[in-house]
Amino acid sequence: MSAADGRRGQILVLGSIVAALVLVGVYLAAGGASYTPEKSQDPCQDRPWSDPQGLGEIANQFSNSALDGAACELGVTRETLARALATPEARERFNERYGIDDEKLAEAIRAGLLRAIEDAEEAGALSPFIAGPARGVIEEIPLDRAIELTRDASSLLGGVGGYLGPAGELLEGLLP
Amino acid sequence: MSGVPRPRLAALALAVGLVLADSSIVVLALPEIYRELDTSVAGVTWVLISFNLVMALAAVPAALLARRVGPGRTAAVGLAVFAGAGLACGLADQLSTLIVARCVQALGGAAAVTAALELLPATVGSERRATAVWASAGATGAALGPAVGGVLTELVSWQSIFLIQFPIALIAAVPILAVARHEAATGIVSAELRRTGRPHVLANLALAMVSAAIAAALFLLVLLLIEGWRMTPIGAAIVVSAMPLFAILASRFDSFVPSARARAAAGAILIAGGLAGLALLPKAEIVLTLPPQALIGVGLSLVLSALTETALGGRAPQAIHGGWTISARHAGVVIGLLALTPIFTSDIAEQRQDAIDAGTAVILDSRASPLVKIELAQRINEQLEGEQGRVPTIAPAFEPLPEDPAEREAVVGLREELQDQLDRGATHAFSPSFLLGALLALLALIPIGLARRVEL
Repeated sequence: MSAADGRRGQILVLGSIVAALVLVGVYLAAGGASYTPEKSQDPCQDRPWSDPQGLGEIANQFSNSALDGAACELGVTRETLARALATPEARERFNERYGIDDEKLAEAIRAGLLRAIEDAEEAGALSPFIAGPARGVIEEIPLDRAIELTRDASSLLGGVGGYLGPAGELLEGLLP
Repeated sequence: MSGVPRPRLAALALAVGLVLADSSIVVLALPEIYRELDTSVAGVTWVLISFNLVMALAAVPAALLARRVGPGRTAAVGLAVFAGAGLACGLADQLSTLIVARCVQALGGAAAVTAALELLPATVGSERRATAVWASAGATGAALGPAVGGVLTELVSWQSIFLIQFPIALIAAVPILAVARHEAATGIVSAELRRTGRPHVLANLALAMVSAAIAAALFLLVLLLIEGWRMTPIGAAIVVSAMPLFAILASRFDSFVPSARARAAAGAILIAGGLAGLALLPKAEIVLTLPPQALIGVGLSLVLSALTETALGGRAPQAIHGGWTISARHAGVVIGLLALTPIFTSDIAEQRQDAIDAGTAVILDSRASPLVKIELAQRINEQLEGEQGRVPTIAPAFEPLPEDPAEREAVVGLREELQDQLDRGATHAFSPSFLLGALLALLALIPIGLARRVEL
C-alpha cells in the first residue's frame, strides 16, 4: 500500500471522527440530553400559589395543594394519587399496589386538605380568621365521609373535585 | 462474464439475498406480531433472536456439510427446508410455534447460504468474484429486508412475509437442482477438498460487535418509530430505508481507500456516532433521524465490506470462512438483542410512567375549567388503558374540541403539552439502549486496532 493510500485511510478515519463529533455536538446543543419528560415535583415540597383570582382559581390551587399533601403522606407523586382517585377501580388498584387501605387513604386526604388550608392562608387566599374554623371542620370530617368524598369521583379530576367539592363549598361559605 | 450460467447465478444470488434478508425482514412486523400473538416485547424479540442464533450456530457445520455431501445437494435441501419452515411460520398462531419454525428456517438458510458460496466460484469463474457476488447479494437482501417486511405487514399481514418466501425459495432452488442431480448421479463433489485454515479471529470478532451495534440501530429505530412515535409499518419502512440507501451510496466509494483497517475503523466510528445521535435526538421528528441514519449507513457499508474482505481474503476454503463470517455476524445480532432488550423494556416502562405523570401534571396545573379537566381526564384515562402498554395517541381524547374559543385554545394547548410529554418519554426510553449500541460499535475498534499488529 502506497503512502498516498495510507494518507487517504487516515483522512477517512479523521473525517469519521469529526462527522460523529459534529452530529453529537449539534444534537447536544439542540437539547438532546434534556429531551425527557418533566419530572414530578416532590409533593412534600411547597408548590407556590400564583395570584388566585376568584373562587374557581382558589379551588384549583387548593385542590393541587390538597393532593400534594395527601401524596406526601402516602409517599407517592401527586399525579399518581390524582389518577388513583379517578375511579373506584383505580383507587382499588392503587390501594393494592401500595399496600394501604381506605382508612389510611382517608387520613392522608384529610392531612392534604389541612395542608391546602395552610397553603391558602400563606398565599393570602384565606384569612386567618377563616382558616382556623376551616381546620376544625376538616379535622372533624369522619373517615367514612373522607372515603365517601373519593368514592364520588367518576374520573381523575372527578376524584379531586369530589373531595374538593365540600372544601370548595366550605371555602365559599367562609370567604367574604 | 461470458459463459456464466445466468439462471444458476441468479438463483444463488436470490437464495443468499432471501436468507440474509430474513434476519431483518421481520423487524417491522414485530409490533404487529407482539399484539396479535399477545406476547411481550422481550418475547417477540425471540422471533429475531432464534433465527440469528441458529444461523450463528449452524453456519460453519453447514459449510462443512456442503463440502462433504456436495454444495448443490446442500443448497437445494437447505432451500426446501427454508421454504417449508417459512410456510410454517406464516401459519403459526402461537409464539412458540413461530419461534420453532424460525429455528428450522435458519437451519435451511444456513445450509443454502454457505453452500451458495461453494457453488459460486464454479458459476462465476473465480473465488474473488464469487465472494463479491455473495457479499453484495447478502448485503442487498439485508438492506431491503426491513422495507419489504414493513410494506407486506401493512398491505397484507405479518404472515405474508413468510408465506411469500415459499415460492421464492422454490424458484431459487430449481436451477440448483441440476447441480444436485449431477452430484447424485456422478458422486462428484464439485469443490476440491482442502485443509481448512484458521478463521480470522479478530476480523470475525469485530464483525460480531459491529453487527450487534447495527442490529441495535435497526431494531430500536423501528420500535421507536412504530411504538414510540406511532408510525405505520409502511411509514417506518420508508424512514429506515434511509440507512441501507446511504450504505448503497457509500459502497461506490469503498475502492477509494484501499486500507481495509482504515475503512473498518472509520465505519465503526461512524456507526457509534450515528447511534449516539439517535440517543440524543433533540425532538421527536423524523427528519432528525436522517443524519444519524446517514452515518450508520455509510459506516456499515465501510465496515462490513472491509471486515468480510479481511476475514475471507486469501483463506480457503471460502465456504468455511464465509460460514465463520455468517456465524460472527448473526452471533453479534443475537448478543446485541439479548443485551439491549432487558434495558430497553425496563426503560420504556419507566419512561412511559414518567410521561404519563408529566401529562397528568399538565392537566392538574392547567387553567382550564374544572369541568373541562374532569371530562378530559376521564377520556385520557380510557385512552391510556386502551393502549395496553403502547405509548398512546392522545389526540382522540380531546375530540370534539370545546366550542368556546378561549376554552378551545386552552384545550389545544393542553393537548400539545401532553403529547409533547409523551413524545419525550417515548424518545428518551430508547436513549440508553442506543448508547449501549454505540459502545458496542466503539468496542469493535479494539480487534480492528489489534489486527494492525497481529495478522492471524
